[in-house]
Amino acid sequence: MQTFLPHQARRVERTFWVGVSVALVALIAGVLRVFNPASAWFFPPCPFRVLTGYLCPGCGTLRALHELFNGHLAAAFRLNPLMMLLLPYVGYEGASAAMETVFGRALPRVFIRPTYIWILLAVILLYWILRNTPLAALF
Amino acid sequence: MYCPKCGTPNDDNAWKCVQCQTILQAALPPVASGPPEVVPNYLWQAIVCTVCCCWPLGIPAIVYAAQVNTKVVQGDLAGARQSSKNAKMWCWIAFGSGLATGLIYLVFAVISVVLQHR
Repeated sequence: MQTFLPHQARRVERTFWVGVSVALVALIAGVLRVFNPASAWFFPPCPFRVLTGYLCPGCGTLRALHELFNGHLAAAFRLNPLMMLLLPYVGYEGASAAMETVFGRALPRVFIRPTYIWILLAVILLYWILRNTPLAALF
Repeated sequence: MYCPKCGTPNDDNAWKCVQCQTILQAALPPVASGPPEVVPNYLWQAIVCTVCCCWPLGIPAIVYAAQVNTKVVQGDLAGARQSSKNAKMWCWIAFGSGLATGLIYLVFAVISVVLQHR
């Protein structure tokens, strides 16, 4: 029987959870490719929208991903441009975190200057407000 | 450890020899200065929660993520670690509440479909 040192056991356990997460993401991506959240009954609506009637910064993400996984880039951008713009960064950092856990080596780290994160926050808040006004027709 | 000067046994963490007052810690090698500490800001997780969990609780997580990098630049590592903890906490709050509302909705949706088909 193979025995693991404590830090190796932790690594094995974390690798297991990375595997579970990757499988879940793949499963959700597959379901999103096949079913359109705009018409399928089992996708949850945005609680913020249900409660307030206003759109949140994440509204349209599921429908946008459905379009993206079917190769309709323009439609995806129309449904949630913010999510589409941030997706490459999220994908990079997510892959980096998974690699660090499994192989002990992350992708080259990007340190984002604090100013840019504050700008991102302002952009998200502005997008949240503007998409609930007639100006939303612009994007 | 033993005093290098007079050989008196001392506590491992002793600063000075109890016998001859020789400073003991100076003889130790300096603390290894590895690569600068990376304080995780949980920004990508915060973004996922903001644009995917359909529940705008990810916003405070982004605020704390920005604080982490601001404090790292200012050299305030302790403050950065505290903000990092808060960022992580808000990511979990946003993710958890998003997942919970989603699952509750799914349960009710399945029940209503089952009832309709009876």
